[in-house]
Amino acid sequence: MKIEDKLALLNYKTDKSYAHITVKPEICETCPDHFCTFACPAKCYTLIDSKLNFKYEDCVECGTCIVACAHGSVTWTNVKGAHGVKYKYG
Amino acid sequence: MAEFDVIVVGGGPAGASAAIMMAKNGINVLLVEKADPPGSKNVSGGVLWGHDLDDVIPDWEKSAPLERYVKAKAVGFLTNDSLVNLEFRSRLFDQKKSGYTVLRARLDQFLVKKAKDAGATVVTGVTVDKVAFENGKVKGIEQDGDIITSDGVLLAEGANPRVAIDSGLRPPLSDRDVAIGVKQVIKLPEKTINERFNLREKEGFAGEYVLGYLPDTVEAGGFLYTNKDTISVGVVVSMKHLRENNATYSFNIIDEFVNHPAIAPLLEGGTVDEYSAHLVQEGGLKSIPKLFGNGYLIAGDAAGFSFSNGMVLQGMNYAIASGKAAAQTFTEAYKRKDYSESVLESYRSKLMDSYVLRDMYNFSGIDEVTWSKLVHKTMPKLMENVMSSLFLENGKPKEHIIKLILKGIKSSDEKPSRLVSDGVKMLRRM
Repeated sequence: MKIEDKLALLNYKTDKSYAHITVKPEICETCPDHFCTFACPAKCYTLIDSKLNFKYEDCVECGTCIVACAHGSVTWTNVKGAHGVKYKYG
Repeated sequence: MAEFDVIVVGGGPAGASAAIMMAKNGINVLLVEKADPPGSKNVSGGVLWGHDLDDVIPDWEKSAPLERYVKAKAVGFLTNDSLVNLEFRSRLFDQKKSGYTVLRARLDQFLVKKAKDAGATVVTGVTVDKVAFENGKVKGIEQDGDIITSDGVLLAEGANPRVAIDSGLRPPLSDRDVAIGVKQVIKLPEKTINERFNLREKEGFAGEYVLGYLPDTVEAGGFLYTNKDTISVGVVVSMKHLRENNATYSFNIIDEFVNHPAIAPLLEGGTVDEYSAHLVQEGGLKSIPKLFGNGYLIAGDAAGFSFSNGMVLQGMNYAIASGKAAAQTFTEAYKRKDYSESVLESYRSKLMDSYVLRDMYNFSGIDEVTWSKLVHKTMPKLMENVMSSLFLENGKPKEHIIKLILKGIKSSDEKPSRLVSDGVKMLRRM
């Protein structure tokens, strides 16, 4: 089963007006490892034409990326107003 | 006067247990949980070793949403082809039920409801930004620029403790503190689960595995727990080793586990009903921050309280026990009308008297064993070698087991002297 299909099983209440994680493109541009693309279990970080692409909509709020990024690019805040992922089992 | 005596940040096992006990003691408690409903952002393996709930919710074994009780516990080593397994299946588990499989979206909702019943004020869907301080002591919590005032704050916000970090009360997490937990809940009929795992009604299986066949430096453990009509299956991946490798996707490692020839038949025909991920506190003593200050305490995963020695993997019981110790400490502060650091520092001695900090000290350095090449690469292969020499008939005269072990040691890519010294170190620390 592909990760995209697994993520599609999840319920999200997406906050369209607030991204709880942001990255600094100027740092990612010169990043030597892009470890975030391997570490993030929700595949929010991908390389497209060797450029880092980040989308917060699939985020499961685990906090892996803020630890994974050793270059200070990731800013991580908790989602607000009960937005984000909603597990039925957990 | 403050609006509340104590504000609890986080409605998991630590925060809810603390809120229940403080509310029972007449303290005016506010419990703030960012998820709505509570538990819907929480993930655990998860086996609850719930002994500590006895005096929080006396009838918890009857009233809580428990899936199955652990009747069989297994620890296994997986290689590409094999599983070498040690299983403890015992009637002793019937007489003294110790562990229960749980699903956190259900359990935490129950715990928070109990906090409400006990008299705590509960708000859900509200995110705390920071702990508010005035003149060096806690004034309350900050939320979207507003301050809700209290004399004490308990930070029980879980494995990714943003409030504690953003308030400068603990350092940011690093590779040595956490591992990446990835889990799937797989739907299977109750009857099928009973048959496959040799279980009767309400009996459960809990297995933990070393994935000794992952590429290069990557190290991960696997878990498989039976629920009533689902199976929780997942992996815990070392952040440090995944970084060293920098070529393996964390979300693919769970497939390596569920597709293993010894695991796949157990899950066959099941449908994946949920995918989830969560940080796992793994650092032990080194990762524990300062636990108290003028008006605040830190409990549960936010304080790094979880335990893993390769055989035992626990967190919720540490959360509950530390939540209880925090509730007792704040109750003393409430009675003395003094929430200063000199009063709250008794939290530490309470944790030292319980197994929470005692285990952390007794097993300090255990993470160097649980996340080691010896456990994740050398031992699985060695065991497979010994077992295959023992059990694969080849028409040759039999050899003594000790000789097979020595042969296995010789054929491993580690130096024999290194293997022995690491092995002794491992046994000591376990």
